[in-house]
Amino acid sequence: MGKYSDSTEWEDVDPIPQDDGGPNPLAAIAYTEEYSEAMSYLRAAMAKDEKSDRALGLTEDIIRMNPAHYTVWLYRADMLFTLQKDLLQELEWLNKISLKHIKNFQIWYPYHVPQAGKAEAYGLRRHHRQVVMSHIPTIPPTETAFLALMFAKDVKNYHVWSYRQWLVRQFSLWDSELPYVESLLQSDVRNNSAWNHRWFVIFARHMDPTKHSIKNGDADSEVPPEIIEREIEYTKAAISTAPQNQSPWNYLRGVLGKKGMGLVELKSFAEQYADLEKEDEVRSSHALDFLADVYAEEEQKERSGRALELLARRYDPIRKNYWNYRRSLLGLKQVGA
Amino acid sequence: MSLVSGPGRGGASTGHVPDEIKLVVEKHVEYIQTLDTRQDELEYWLTEHLRLNGVYWGLTALHLLGHPEALPRLATIDFVLSSQHESGGFGAAPGHDAHMLYTVSAVQILGTVDALEELDRRGKAGREKVGQYIADLQSQETGSFAGDEWGETDTRFLYGALNALSLLHMLHLVDIPKAVTYIQNCANFDGGYGVSPGAESHAGQIFTCVGALAIAGRLDLVDRDRLGGWLSERQLPNGGLSGRPEKLEDVCYSWWVASSLAMIDRLHWIDRDKLSQFILQCQDSEKGGIADRPGDMVDVFHTVFGLAGLSLIGFPGLVAVDPI
Repeated sequence: MGKYSDSTEWEDVDPIPQDDGGPNPLAAIAYTEEYSEAMSYLRAAMAKDEKSDRALGLTEDIIRMNPAHYTVWLYRADMLFTLQKDLLQELEWLNKISLKHIKNFQIWYPYHVPQAGKAEAYGLRRHHRQVVMSHIPTIPPTETAFLALMFAKDVKNYHVWSYRQWLVRQFSLWDSELPYVESLLQSDVRNNSAWNHRWFVIFARHMDPTKHSIKNGDADSEVPPEIIEREIEYTKAAISTAPQNQSPWNYLRGVLGKKGMGLVELKSFAEQYADLEKEDEVRSSHALDFLADVYAEEEQKERSGRALELLARRYDPIRKNYWNYRRSLLGLKQVGA
Repeated sequence: MSLVSGPGRGGASTGHVPDEIKLVVEKHVEYIQTLDTRQDELEYWLTEHLRLNGVYWGLTALHLLGHPEALPRLATIDFVLSSQHESGGFGAAPGHDAHMLYTVSAVQILGTVDALEELDRRGKAGREKVGQYIADLQSQETGSFAGDEWGETDTRFLYGALNALSLLHMLHLVDIPKAVTYIQNCANFDGGYGVSPGAESHAGQIFTCVGALAIAGRLDLVDRDRLGGWLSERQLPNGGLSGRPEKLEDVCYSWWVASSLAMIDRLHWIDRDKLSQFILQCQDSEKGGIADRPGDMVDVFHTVFGLAGLSLIGFPGLVAVDPI
């Protein structure tokens, strides 16, 4: 008895049960019974390489129960293209299950899901989406709204970000992307994923990622100096709202590197957040780190060493060995525990 | 190997964490041994697509714990071989499509139990063909590797390919300089590496990129001080490590972050005592197993990466692990 064994649509098929060489222990759990039955019909359908509407329905059913089963996804994609299905409709379905995903996990996984399985499910859906989307000539109007909903659930989801970068490149969405990044940073200035995306939108725009390094950019299409200036000012403003935030400090170093200049230009900016003469009033360990490099550039070894000492002793002691290593590069002795 | 989580929780169910905790070696061995008896649980079946990875994780944990005999060797080899396809590739379990990730796990498992020659003796395809299956997944254009014929690329696959090919002594089958160039294109302005060019730096992906460079003999390309600075910054005040800035700690990063630091000779930049305390607080000292963080359900994935992290930082009672 079951959804498929009772169905006239599937009566010509002999299900192929899982062969584990032992008694089947699954019967005790209702959900498991349903899953196990669907899988036995999947095996039978795949064994004869069936490509049909009913088999598509079957994959949908299994994905609903277990979105991390990669074979089902591959089989489904294969059928979609062979049967020349409406891909926009497929996207719509994908949207629905992606947004339900978190809730589904609670229904289907009674316990904590091993992380690997959860990540795998995200990855598989993202890949399926990319495969489908690469067969669609223009971006469907619903796509950015869908991504906004995904980010509303988890704005740091690595798979969604990776897909978004692919999408931006695929459909050349560069112009609308910067305002979007800014809105994300406005709601959370500590969102490192958004900072990374900002870098991507500005510096990876005119380059082929398979030929040039994102880090260094493409020498043939240098970013105009006014954009570099704008980025420096934007980042400084972001730091002023939350000085103890590593993402913009990293970003600032990256931009200054692009400009091919040292950090010294921003010395007085950084000193607002860390004055070596007022040890108790340091507001940012990242500013101390930045200043240690500034002073080293200026050949002020003692001053640089003093910033590193404050980090090792007081503001970031868990990384004492790292700061001491930096001191040793200046020829200074270690700071004790 | 089952990926069922629980039954226990890290850090004791009461939530009380004692100050001095010991590594409960015997309990962890028992925990792993009982995983495969839990076939009456739904999760056992829902995680079937990861089973071969699970075997690798369980087996590696047992080797680290000094009990390599705790999983039956012959049955392990039989299970691995039963997941092989004629193409040379492996699926996650019998009846699953071949994929890079499972092929790598299969080679790693067979390598661990010293049985790679079994591929030639009774596999559906011999060593040469397994190596060729992996090599064929390299893109001639970019040097990156796909996971399967569908072409999804990920630096995980690149690392996995080089790892398995080096175990098979078949690195000559692929274009190493091109793979190295691809990894360099995944390097970011903050010193880290992402899953693909332009993607955010992530400790797991850094492990795969640095590991691949180590196998390729090109660690000279890494800016060790900058990367080491980024990696050491992942340690949080409770001693645990996170995968990205502003994210929570998780035991599995004890491996991804620490092994990356070890590969670039910067492991001492994190506080190793605090890290081992954190990992020990994530173990269920009564029923065995390690969770992602104290209070959560244990599972084999976090168990092996917690143990590997402890081994790497020289915690007594474990077999030493190679960071690559």
